[in-house]
Amino acid sequence: MIRIQNIWKKFGDNPVHRGITFDVLDKETTVVLGRSGGGKSVLLKLIIGLLKPDSGSIEVDGKDVTKMSYKELRALRFKFGFLFQGAALFDSMTVGENISLALRRHTGWKEKQIGESIRYALHIVGLDNVEHLMPSSLSGGMKKRVGLARAIALTPRYILYDEPTTGLDMETADGINLLINEMRTILGITSIVVTHDIHSAFVVGDRFAVIENGITLMTGTRDEIQNSQHEEVRKYISSSLKAQEGRRP
Amino acid sequence: MMWWMITNIHNAKEYSRNIYQQMVTIGNDSIPIVVFVGAFVGMVTAVQSAYQLYDWIPRAVVGSLVVKSVLLELMPLMTAMVLAGKVGATITAELGTMRVTEQVDALEALAFDSVSFLVTPRVIAGVLMFPVLIIFGDLVAIIGGMFGAVTVAHIPATAFVSGMKSSFETWDAVFGIIKGTVFGFTITSVACYHGYYVEGGSEGVGKATMGTVVLACLTVVVLDFVLASVLL
Repeated sequence: MIRIQNIWKKFGDNPVHRGITFDVLDKETTVVLGRSGGGKSVLLKLIIGLLKPDSGSIEVDGKDVTKMSYKELRALRFKFGFLFQGAALFDSMTVGENISLALRRHTGWKEKQIGESIRYALHIVGLDNVEHLMPSSLSGGMKKRVGLARAIALTPRYILYDEPTTGLDMETADGINLLINEMRTILGITSIVVTHDIHSAFVVGDRFAVIENGITLMTGTRDEIQNSQHEEVRKYISSSLKAQEGRRP
Repeated sequence: MMWWMITNIHNAKEYSRNIYQQMVTIGNDSIPIVVFVGAFVGMVTAVQSAYQLYDWIPRAVVGSLVVKSVLLELMPLMTAMVLAGKVGATITAELGTMRVTEQVDALEALAFDSVSFLVTPRVIAGVLMFPVLIIFGDLVAIIGGMFGAVTVAHIPATAFVSGMKSSFETWDAVFGIIKGTVFGFTITSVACYHGYYVEGGSEGVGKATMGTVVLACLTVVVLDFVLASVLL
């Protein structure tokens, strides 16, 4: 379980978070909804200690990430897979090397076992026989899938998705949404998805946290969010749905 | 970052493959440009020395001047300047691009120590390979100097060699190697720092790359003076 409590964070004079609070329950997908530039990606980086909050606490399985040493943070990160917005594949390495990098470094497995793990991870995300390709030769959707394969290679307990469907066409985005759901149903992984894609959010989310102007407007299930009487949440949901309907064919 | 790198230097053992790769990139891939610069530096030193000393002093002195200036000053400095552009800019652009495309964050998210993985191998490779390149450049520059002296200044090869032998001191070569080590550390450190902490997307990478070349060149000339003052 991940418990985020009263997180404050600012960059220079620009406050990004002003008291973010919500819980992420085990084996559920929690979606953090909010407008672009609202500090959602920052929140994911705070969770695995890539950034430190100015105040507040983030507990992962009962341990406060904000008070961990660098060594403890590295140990914590074994529990996490992270799908970055642009996939963040290492562009000097092949797809196979991207996935095997952490396996070689952290597992001590033999080459045969590493090879099998690469193929298994790629198979789960629906890609076969692409190990030898360079990231530059992949489409946006394939990059995200490889990023997800890399994220699950070490069999994490949690996966953090940063705008997983941004920049993808509807069909590819639906494929990614399906994968996110499979991560939970097949592998039992707890996920946090940050997105401003309301359609994707309602497809993958079990629980939601709506963030606006650095504060948590509301947390709840899909029904609670969709039927919310909170004026700002209603406004956000309806405007996002309208904007998205305009884009969907 | 430097403090982190030094206190976690033991982690570099885990990334020895990266050190080897960087040694190839910094060392092997820089040989053509060092050879080119070395050959012309040697030739122009010989020709200009001959011009300045014409009829004044025995012509064997040209050999002495070439070997002394090449070993003590010209090749260490010229190699450092050229590599500040080639190696320094490359390192900053690479790390900067990795930073702005979140590849550095991805490494950290995969439980890697990104400084030990990205910075330490480059700095170690720089410290090891710069002196090697300078030795290589020294040899090429001396051969180039002899070629220039013989073909352009019409100094007999025997006179050039005898002047070279009479003034050669091992310390001069060692001094150049010490300079190479210091310059290698300086240039790669400056480049890694600028790249690792880049901000502001592709524009930021461009600015950081320019900043690396400027700062590395300025630092090298200052250190050149400091080392000469202290060690000679």
